[in-house]
Amino acid sequence: MLQRFLDPSVLAGISGLDLVAKTVVDGFVNGLHRSPDFGFSQEFAEYRAYSPGDDLRHVDWNVFARTERAYLKRYRGETNSILTVLLDASNSMKFSSHAVSKMDYARFTAASLFYLAIQNQRDAAGLIVFDDEVRTYIRPSTRQGQLPRLLSGLEHAEPHARTDFAKPLDHFQQFLRRRGIVVFISDFYDSPEHIVRTVEPLRFHGNEVVLFHILDPKEIRPEIKEPSTLIDLETQDRIEITPDYVRDEYRKKFDAHVEALRDKTRGAGMDYHLLVTDRPLDDALREYLTIRQGRD
Amino acid sequence: MGLLAPWFLAGFAALAIPFYVHLLRRHTTTPRPFSSLMFFERRTQSSIKHRRLRYLVLLSLRALLFLLLALAFANPFINRTAAKMNSEKLELLVIDNSFSMRAGNRLADAKREALSVLSSRRPTDKAQVMALGSQIQVLTQASLDPGALRAAVDNLQPGDSRASYGELARAVRSLAETVPTPIELHFFSDMQKSAMPGNFSELALPANVTLVLHPVVKDAVPNWTVESVNAPGQVWDPKKARVQAVIAGFGTPAATRTVSLVLNGKTAATKTVNVPANGRATAEFQSLDVPYGFTKCEVRIDSADTFPADDVSIFAVERTDPRHALFVSDAGDSRSPLYFRSALGSAVESAFVLDVVSAGDAANQQLSKYAFVVLSDLISVPSGLESALVRYVQGGGSVWIAEGTSASHSARVPVFGGNIQDSHDYSRTGDHYLNVADADPSHPSVEKADHWAGVKFYFAVKVDPGDARVIAHLTDGTPLLMEKKIGEGNVLLFASGLDNLTNDFPLHPVFVPFVEQTALYLSGTERRSGARVVDSFLELRSSKEQSVGVQVIDPQGQRPLSLKESTSAQTFRLASAGFYELQLANGRHNVIGVNPDRRESNLEVIPDDVQALWRGNPSAETAAQAAGGAAEEQKQPYRVWWYIMLLVFAAAIAESLLADRYLGSQQQEDL
Repeated sequence: MLQRFLDPSVLAGISGLDLVAKTVVDGFVNGLHRSPDFGFSQEFAEYRAYSPGDDLRHVDWNVFARTERAYLKRYRGETNSILTVLLDASNSMKFSSHAVSKMDYARFTAASLFYLAIQNQRDAAGLIVFDDEVRTYIRPSTRQGQLPRLLSGLEHAEPHARTDFAKPLDHFQQFLRRRGIVVFISDFYDSPEHIVRTVEPLRFHGNEVVLFHILDPKEIRPEIKEPSTLIDLETQDRIEITPDYVRDEYRKKFDAHVEALRDKTRGAGMDYHLLVTDRPLDDALREYLTIRQGRD
Repeated sequence: MGLLAPWFLAGFAALAIPFYVHLLRRHTTTPRPFSSLMFFERRTQSSIKHRRLRYLVLLSLRALLFLLLALAFANPFINRTAAKMNSEKLELLVIDNSFSMRAGNRLADAKREALSVLSSRRPTDKAQVMALGSQIQVLTQASLDPGALRAAVDNLQPGDSRASYGELARAVRSLAETVPTPIELHFFSDMQKSAMPGNFSELALPANVTLVLHPVVKDAVPNWTVESVNAPGQVWDPKKARVQAVIAGFGTPAATRTVSLVLNGKTAATKTVNVPANGRATAEFQSLDVPYGFTKCEVRIDSADTFPADDVSIFAVERTDPRHALFVSDAGDSRSPLYFRSALGSAVESAFVLDVVSAGDAANQQLSKYAFVVLSDLISVPSGLESALVRYVQGGGSVWIAEGTSASHSARVPVFGGNIQDSHDYSRTGDHYLNVADADPSHPSVEKADHWAGVKFYFAVKVDPGDARVIAHLTDGTPLLMEKKIGEGNVLLFASGLDNLTNDFPLHPVFVPFVEQTALYLSGTERRSGARVVDSFLELRSSKEQSVGVQVIDPQGQRPLSLKESTSAQTFRLASAGFYELQLANGRHNVIGVNPDRRESNLEVIPDDVQALWRGNPSAETAAQAAGGAAEEQKQPYRVWWYIMLLVFAAAIAESLLADRYLGSQQQEDL
């Protein structure tokens, strides 16, 4: 029953990403049979000397009264992480063979991650939407109103132009202050070597990097029954293809591409997950929670 | 090589369909957006070219499919010689079992020779046995079983039919159309000349039939026979009955023959006649003293030849009391009853008592007891009498109307119904009289009247015949004798009088057979004559006697009709000689004597040159000349559409597999 709410085709009928995210996450968490405050605790951990810039709300005023020194109270749950989602909004993400396009699926995934991170894990979350330029940048934060901002950023993320992984990563590295979890959502139509080479520097900063490879089922197994002409959504190039070629050559190449991407990303210490748009969203959420738990 | 139905080649136009599908549909492909073409390399173009080439194979297959279909419907053939077509052959053994084969040991010789041919045939050749009478009788199907074939020959019995070689040729022509192998026709017969058809071309056989004649006799043998017997079917006065028999000799010397009249197995009279060489003689018996009822009679000659079966001719005679006929005439007319009664009384075969009454008295008569009614030149017919006559005719009775000078008093002919258009008194014209221009000899009234030659008609009434059958015309076209069927009965209209005032017909001898035959015909007696010929057909019932059972007992005492046939059969074929006993649908008992066709008694053999001509090799010289063109003559079309349809089938399967591989592979993958 709850699984139904993770079905992309069901989510496509829900207006508003916040509701989508709430539906997905609540359904997912309920399905875990565990506390929704997984990973978060009010248990006291330690005191830390106040340093300028710290939030005064966390100062233990009782200790200050006794010792006249300001200390901050730290709890275990306070070892929160930073989630940054890099969302590919190139034209190729428009492709869809059913009710949910790849872009929709990417939005649902990102929104669900944001909801899970902010509402359930008290994590900071940020968003970078890019194609060949950085379209939207929302800094990771835990402040109130962050979730609506992120969801709004997702709402306005429309596919444009072509994909260029280098520029958003350069941009991201400029603002990188703390280590966290970086989720890269894209269809990764580029050579695996180039992708890994571009993304790998994030890993050097101590980030946990996860690649969510969004694909439509008809990209994996195209249905071509007769000789056809295909138009590239990004370059507008045309090419004539035959069912025979699609059946043999294309599938081999595509499978090799996915396999190479998986091997190379994992070889570089990153996680890789293939998300097909007709499958439920729980794979992505489970992956996030697994990484998040490992960081605690 | 040729085509039997070349107009089907128009089906080649259907070749446009695969070309249309392949060439035009390719250009109607709608471009489809796709995420990225990074996995479709330039090599794809060459792949498409390669695929186009493969689609060309598919196109070629489809074009070939349509081409072969059109070709198959065009029914092509190739000329092949019969020998090349098939080394096997069908040996068709036809044994003549007609009546003449009873002479001597002809049938036994024919069967022996047939068995010899059967034993010498190749084991791989099928054989079939048939018998020839007036029709072909199939004794076995084409078979390799020597036992069945020999049994069919052994069990063949002599028949009473007349052989017809034309029927043989017709049957073999039909058989040759259905049998693909060459046919070797072995014909075992006495080669009777009288069995030849009128036109020699009727003996023509197809090219794939080889005729081998096995004549069981070489020369004609002398034979005497009772060629015909003229005897009444009914007798009411034995002393007036006459029996005339014609004794014929075929190839015989002059001889004296003893002729006997046998009644119910007892010899009643014997005559001696001198039969000239190869000629005929007539023996006449002056009385036929038979008891009441049916008597089985035969005329027999002493046997002096090898064919005793034709030395007897049988007939049946029924002795009855004379039947009454009603003659209605005006009181002042004394001539027509006189002439009519005299003619009827002079007749040998008729047995009628004439009751002469006036029109007024006729209305009081019970018409159903009369064999027929004659209305002779009545001034007027009372309405009561006319309505009674109409009922009488509709119930199956017959009326004979003679219109003389009194016809001018009325505008229409009573009972008959035709309007009187005019009356001609030819005595006042320049010619003073007219003769009969034409008469239908198939009608019994005219059959023995010799076209009424020399009869002068001074007066005739012109009546509109309407839908009546006109049997005789006068020279000016006036219908003289007409017949109309009303209900179940007949009305005969004679457009002149039966006296010697309107014509001189009563003064001519031909008036007697005219009155006699007409009376027999109208009374229905004519249909029950006592002798028939083998293979003739007997009418078992009239149209109003449907679903009424009839019984036929053949000469062997068997009942040849099944229960269903006895209630539904209209006619019956008299297949064998002898006496048939009949219980007809009208309840009447009848006996008929059936004799073989006397043409079978002429044992003259077909000349050798005619036999050679029939075999197809008139002489050795001409045969040698024809040898050069034999192959061409024996060539015949061999249809190959069956093989083309096999190719169509193979092309269809190949097309299906190829199309499935090219176009349907995606569906299989998706499953």
